[in-house]
Amino acid sequence: MGKEVRSFHENIKRIFMRFALLPVASIAAILLVMFVFLWNMFMVAGNRKDNTEISEKLSGIMDNYISMVDETAQIVAREGLSIEADDIYPIIYEKTAEYGDIGNYVLLSSDGSVIFSSKDYAPVFITGQEYLNWGVWRKIRDNEGITSVVLYEGNLCVTKGIYQNDKLFRAIVYIIPGEVISSAVGDKGRYVFVTDKNGWIYASNTKGLRDSFGQIRDELFAKTGYIRSGTTTYYSYMTDIPGKNLRVYTVNDVTGSIRIVIMLAAVIVVIFTAISIITVKSTEISSERLTKDIKKMADAFEEVQKGNLDVSLNISSSKEFQIIGNDFNEMLGGLKNQIEQNKELEHNAAFFQVKQLESQFNPHFLFNTLDNIRFMAKIDEKAADKMIVSLSGLLRYSIREIREEVTVREDLDNLQYYLNILQIRFNKRFSYSIDVSEDIMDCLIPKLLLQPLLENSVKYGFAGREKLNVKIKGYLLTGQLIFICDDDGAGMDEALLNEIKANLNEPANKSSHYGLYNINRRINLMYNGSAKLDIMGKKGEGTLIRITIPKKKG
Amino acid sequence: MKRWGVTLIIAALAAGCLIGCKDKEEDTSSIVVVSPHPNGFIKPLIHEFENSTGIEVRMIECGTADAIDKVAEDDDVDIMWGGSVLTVGPFSDLFYQYETPNEKYFKDEYKASDIACTFFSDVPSVIIINNDMIGGKKIKGYADLLDSDLVGKIAFANPAKSSSSFEHLVNMLYAMGGGDPEKGWDYVGKFTKSLSGNLLDSSSMVYEGVANGRYAVGLTFEEAAVTMLKSDKHVSIIYMDEGVVSTPDGIYINKNSKKIDKCKKFVDFMTDRNTQIYIAQTLGRRSVRIDVEASGLVLPKNDINNITVDKKTVTENKDKWIAKFKDIYEEGIDG
Repeated sequence: MGKEVRSFHENIKRIFMRFALLPVASIAAILLVMFVFLWNMFMVAGNRKDNTEISEKLSGIMDNYISMVDETAQIVAREGLSIEADDIYPIIYEKTAEYGDIGNYVLLSSDGSVIFSSKDYAPVFITGQEYLNWGVWRKIRDNEGITSVVLYEGNLCVTKGIYQNDKLFRAIVYIIPGEVISSAVGDKGRYVFVTDKNGWIYASNTKGLRDSFGQIRDELFAKTGYIRSGTTTYYSYMTDIPGKNLRVYTVNDVTGSIRIVIMLAAVIVVIFTAISIITVKSTEISSERLTKDIKKMADAFEEVQKGNLDVSLNISSSKEFQIIGNDFNEMLGGLKNQIEQNKELEHNAAFFQVKQLESQFNPHFLFNTLDNIRFMAKIDEKAADKMIVSLSGLLRYSIREIREEVTVREDLDNLQYYLNILQIRFNKRFSYSIDVSEDIMDCLIPKLLLQPLLENSVKYGFAGREKLNVKIKGYLLTGQLIFICDDDGAGMDEALLNEIKANLNEPANKSSHYGLYNINRRINLMYNGSAKLDIMGKKGEGTLIRITIPKKKG
Repeated sequence: MKRWGVTLIIAALAAGCLIGCKDKEEDTSSIVVVSPHPNGFIKPLIHEFENSTGIEVRMIECGTADAIDKVAEDDDVDIMWGGSVLTVGPFSDLFYQYETPNEKYFKDEYKASDIACTFFSDVPSVIIINNDMIGGKKIKGYADLLDSDLVGKIAFANPAKSSSSFEHLVNMLYAMGGGDPEKGWDYVGKFTKSLSGNLLDSSSMVYEGVANGRYAVGLTFEEAAVTMLKSDKHVSIIYMDEGVVSTPDGIYINKNSKKIDKCKKFVDFMTDRNTQIYIAQTLGRRSVRIDVEASGLVLPKNDINNITVDKKTVTENKDKWIAKFKDIYEEGIDG
């Protein structure tokens, strides 16, 4: 497939686009992507950092409480029935001092009766008979001898069952003060949830994002990543605190940021579209202006190609183009001079050729006529005299008349000399008629145009014939002069006719048919090909020669 | 071409792995439960269920009629929890037949009948009165509601919208008709006049309306009244002298559920003795089990004038009765 050749102007425009618009677009896109990427990275990193911080803090707190429960459990197991509050208080105080709240440490017997409580009361969900296999108690029984964490009705409890002889002997329930966990959640710039592993919220810094039961919303449950809920988008990160039955969710509401990114992208797109339109327009204009001179040159060259040499380049925009323009003008001037000189030379050559052709009739004619006169002088002196007068008139016209073109009337007048000679020579065997319309009498035609036609008729017409009639006609047809020489003579056979026709178009005469060849050559040289000579005829029926030349008023 | 082949194989393997993984994941996914139970009733039970079984539950709260529609339309809804047997009975086709091992401890009347359901609790219809607003009147049963001083002070929900209200309508028809529901319409006619154009849209508006003093008396179900009582509202529960109909509600497993095993665990948990004790003691529901006593806040079953209804008649006439009630009610307003 051939590649389309684009204009210089188009190329310049494309270069502008490619090297200005495209990089800007790419950079803008890359910047936006980088912005989103970095924003996402920082947001996620910040979220994770907070999450890790809280998780570690909570983990530390829970470890502390668990170790407290474990240590006291050992004492309870060791002391058995003789346990007293004084045995375990030091440990409780030691472990909780840093939080400023002792919390509710409850020691229970296996039937739910309270042996000891650091807050002097115990909530119904650990003392009520209906709870002995429910909630906290279920956890104690299900996790035999293991310290576990359970969230019940908004109370985060560390529990442990103390077994003796495979039977539950004592249960420790430590209810963590709510304040300790809320302070660990702290004041973060995002939503924080502390839930159990089933999603029941224990502590949070927001009232939202939970269902009517106080569970974290299904969309967020146990998920990390971008979450869409209705029209809001969140980024949520979740960590499990192993062995503590706790999960920490840190959630960013990124709806606003996403909106900003979308708006930013939209603004960039709008600005960029505007820039693009402006750039396209301005490159169009400036590339057109910059390539205006190139266009001028291309146009000038095209004009020259068409043949119009009268163009000149006026360039003033840049030095380089100015030089090219000036050189072009100079070159074209030189070319024009050259052409003119050539034309003159050509003209001169044609003139000389015409003159030479014109003069070619003389020897033949002279030979024939003089031969006739010699013959006439013996039989008819008067006729011989008339012939001599006619011949001298004809010669005078031929020699003296220096004009190339003469009026039809003048040529006809001088043709009469020739007709006189023929009339005398052939006497009654030769007859003629001249029918030239009056309105072309003053038109200009080449000197001695008609004489060779008559000469031709006589040359071939008498072959084996007694009589010959020649009709000369002249008229105007569609602005051209038509001359016809029509004889009723013997005519030419086809071979001869073709030979003459072919010879007419040769650059040099190769035959003995000077008359027609010369007249054809002359009119072609004089009228630059807008004249022509036709020969028609048939053996035994005569010959018709027609000359067409442009009309020229004398 | 070779490369394409390799890529295709890898893609196929990856897809297969993903699908495979997804199948495995099914196990950790949650079950979806629709329930017309009050929020405060659902919460502790679901929390305990999740804690003890580790099965995650996704709750959808809605009315009984909606809940049935959801089960019918959505195979992802695994369980319908609640809704009286009278109301849900006609839709038995939607549910999966399951007999929990706990059923052997059930009272005889709660052992699964022909319906694909497990009885969960017993809910008698009761009258709730606001002690401060009743004005010293003694309310002992339906007859006392026709007192002219109570006109416009009675809270009753549209039986077309609330199943507890429909149960009250059934209760009225049987109790006031002396066992023949057709004879009870006389009373219903008088009762609707006492409503004086107040027909509420949901059952919660009844007990909350009475508890908040908007109405002096309301026709509701026992558990709601107990909940109000437990939250220190000045209300009393009246068991109608004329007779109390108690309709058990059930747990229904969607027969199209893809997690039948988890659903069975849910049913087992909810009918477990510990759960039933908790329900009876702290949530004011009557247990279906022999080995669980009722809460001290409710009257023992023996002290109540229990009447039974013909389940078949009720389920067959449900739409007719609701329409008839509507006609009578509108007549009452116009008259």
